[in-house]
Amino acid sequence: MKLIKKQIPLAIVFIFGVLTLGSYYVPHKLSVDYIEMMNKWENIVSAFAFLLGLVSLFYSHCNKISRKTDGWGYSIFVFAGFLAMVIPAFLNNGKQSSAAGVTMLGWAFRYVYNALSSTMFAVLAFYIVSTAYRSFRIKSAQAFVLFAAAFLLILGKVPLGQIIWDAALGWTGAGVDQVIEWVMSVPAVAGKRGIMIGISIGAIVTSFKIIFGIERQYMGKD
Amino acid sequence: MLKETLGKFFKIDRRWIFLLLAVVLFVPIIKPIGLPNKTISRDTRHAFDYMDKLPAGSFVLFSLDYDPATRPELHPQAVAMVRHAFQKNLRVGVVTYIAGSTGLIQQVFEKVPAQYNKVNGTDYVIFPYMANAVAVMTQMASDFYGIYDKDQDGRDARTLPVMRGIRNYKNMGLIVCITGTSMLDYWVAYVGDKFKVPVLGGVVAISQPGYGPYLQTGQLKGLVGGMKGAAEYESLIGQPGKGASGIDSLNLAHLLVLALILTSNLILLIIKYL
Amino acid sequence: MTKNKPGLAFIFLLFAAANAFSAQPGGAGKERTQTGPMAPLRLAGLTAMDMPYDAGGTALLKWDVRPEDTPDTSYQVYVSSMETGGWIKADEFPAASRTSSEIDLPFWAWNAAPKEHAVKLELNNFYGEEQAAASVFRFKVTTVRDKKAFDSQVVSVKTAGNWFRLDRLNNLVLLLVIIIVFFLAVSHAKRKGLFIRRIAGLDAIDEAIGRATEMGKPIYYVPGIGNMSSISTIASAFILGEVSKKVAQYDSQIKVPHYDPIVMTVCKEVVKQAFLEAGRPDSYREDINQFISQDQFSYAASVDGLISREKPAAVFFMGYFMAESLLLAEVGATSGAIQIAGTDVETQLPFFFTACDYTLIGEELYAAGAYLSKEPMLLSALKVQDFGKLVVMVSVFFGIILVAAGAKFHWDPFVRVILNLFKAY
Repeated sequence: MKLIKKQIPLAIVFIFGVLTLGSYYVPHKLSVDYIEMMNKWENIVSAFAFLLGLVSLFYSHCNKISRKTDGWGYSIFVFAGFLAMVIPAFLNNGKQSSAAGVTMLGWAFRYVYNALSSTMFAVLAFYIVSTAYRSFRIKSAQAFVLFAAAFLLILGKVPLGQIIWDAALGWTGAGVDQVIEWVMSVPAVAGKRGIMIGISIGAIVTSFKIIFGIERQYMGKD
Repeated sequence: MLKETLGKFFKIDRRWIFLLLAVVLFVPIIKPIGLPNKTISRDTRHAFDYMDKLPAGSFVLFSLDYDPATRPELHPQAVAMVRHAFQKNLRVGVVTYIAGSTGLIQQVFEKVPAQYNKVNGTDYVIFPYMANAVAVMTQMASDFYGIYDKDQDGRDARTLPVMRGIRNYKNMGLIVCITGTSMLDYWVAYVGDKFKVPVLGGVVAISQPGYGPYLQTGQLKGLVGGMKGAAEYESLIGQPGKGASGIDSLNLAHLLVLALILTSNLILLIIKYL
Repeated sequence: MTKNKPGLAFIFLLFAAANAFSAQPGGAGKERTQTGPMAPLRLAGLTAMDMPYDAGGTALLKWDVRPEDTPDTSYQVYVSSMETGGWIKADEFPAASRTSSEIDLPFWAWNAAPKEHAVKLELNNFYGEEQAAASVFRFKVTTVRDKKAFDSQVVSVKTAGNWFRLDRLNNLVLLLVIIIVFFLAVSHAKRKGLFIRRIAGLDAIDEAIGRATEMGKPIYYVPGIGNMSSISTIASAFILGEVSKKVAQYDSQIKVPHYDPIVMTVCKEVVKQAFLEAGRPDSYREDINQFISQDQFSYAASVDGLISREKPAAVFFMGYFMAESLLLAEVGATSGAIQIAGTDVETQLPFFFTACDYTLIGEELYAAGAYLSKEPMLLSALKVQDFGKLVVMVSVFFGIILVAAGAKFHWDPFVRVILNLFKAY
């Protein structure tokens, strides 16, 4: 039992981890074919996993409806929304437009799904503004730098801001767009590169820990 | 007394700010103000210039990978760049790796080709959605038709006039990736860098700063960012569209943020030191 | 005039005989004598070989640069898969370009001689992938000068896949060094914990769980929208294990909404195991882990709804997040929960900073597993990260100085060596 639950999964992780790592240094067609095969398997497993997730979703919401737990009404919407998109998709063979015009699926996609998704993304704008009001307060030296950079960048994006800059600081010869380009190209990129390097090294070490079986939480320990 | 009032304003319920923003966004849409768009950003200019310099008949592969959530920012970019490609009589191929993009691609190609008398199969072609972008991108390097043997209407891709002479990336003039996901990173790393194919990007405004390193090293030839980038591109091609119409709202919203930031710091100053 | 006729005829015959019987000097592969309307022009050093360090299907032609080439001279490269004829024009370029130094390979894998032309030909572009790797191909180079074309000798080669990318040797050496350091660090793991600087976000986990237990409210753990191949999702799963253990010990509630079904499956196992280790298997419930949706904003909307209705005491955002990060964090902040976030997506870090109480930046997320469990082997592995960063810092520092000095004193070969050593091929 220990062999199946512990040793074999570890061996699989090790072998495939080393093979995939090695394929970076082996240009031969066998190596290319191996990577393609792995990608195809990943697709297949993802498809089955989606079915698993769907079953789990329906089971969980069915339970909520049958037990009439708090918020069970929203669970009905899960099924209603699912059917509202799947039934038209079957009836229209997955086509969103035909010679006669927009199909039921196309209508549902454009005027329900498009609208709802865009709305959720648009809500971000409101949250960003309210967060900006709360966060860009100068409470320390670092906060001042954050405030100055944010203020400058927003000023440069707005035509009125560009006019204000030219009037107040036009004598320096440096346009606000040049200053913004410098801020985005030098300190912002420097900071991003530093974080990227740290993340990459962390990812390498984490990968080694998984390949060599040092971190095994994902399999559950005996 | 003043400090108390300012203190209340300092901790104002965020719903008042939401209402103020909603008004500021809504009013210019109803009644456009026509604020000028003074500068064209360097990266948008580079993107435009690169496509503009392609000889007529070159093949441009568009990877349109955005879903309805990012439609307001990226759809105007896609429309503007496809229009530019048709204006320059470039051949257009479209691929996508996001299932939600297929409907949006149809919306682009329902109207834009007709304006330039472009024919599906002769001047442009749309390929079906494919999962696993990295595997597909790698495969296209040797044989495009190994993955895309048929277009989305089921026609044999090899026989289409638009695909004449196209076998892999070497035969393509340019790749344009418009995405709200990290798909552009894959195009740059697995295609642009590896096979030395020029890549242009179109991304949401939030992601734009993150591509600074790629632009500096020339791995990305140009980048169009957000709705402002779309408006800039529309002004460069001389065809104002949805990007330009949203600019007034965008500009006023930016001014509101500036005003709020300044106000909150002034109030903090007064409360703390006066 | 009639006296000179035989003489002229004899000279003409001699000339014709010389052309007909002139031998073609050999190249590196098989050769044929060129006949045809164009005059031959032997290219010194013309060789055809398999392009090294690739999967096959690419040939490499080399020949010496000719000093007598004028600025308007150009070369055309032809390829054929047949025994005779069947020539296809594969490339054309001015004589002043395409030297060995333009091939993008490092000094240890390639001799970049400026006095030699080197042309890569990807045969996949002209023939099928299978044929490109299996057939023998013939090549010739036509020199075009003053509107006249001169064919070279014909050379041939069969390409093959290679087994090792020598150009990536620098990468491999660095990888082996890191692996050796990794094993050294892990094998010398001490019983007493190694020093790790305080990470406020991880120290606050106890506080957050304690708060949830006092208030009798659940804890929400949001593992992000990454899939299981994302390192940050793996790190998030480890942290979930530690958080679940503490939740089980404190007899509190935890809920984990999922974006990816595979991540959900893994996290189910992680949480179950954590409850077992805490000695509370009876407290474990299957619906702790719940699949929501594989659509980004549907997931965000649903989790926002759950947080708004249930008003958890603590919310953890650990993993891969994109635009929905602020949507989730703001709603959590509005509901009054203590929020701890960690992601390696630097574009989302500002949103978490402003909306959450504690934020783990990038690699702090990866270190969390070791920090929380205090296992000696995991702590030692953290030292390898520090070693890696030290290598980068030292390389950048000395690299800048050396390259700047090299550029100033025109030590071009030296600068090339340094740049090659640190480039990814």
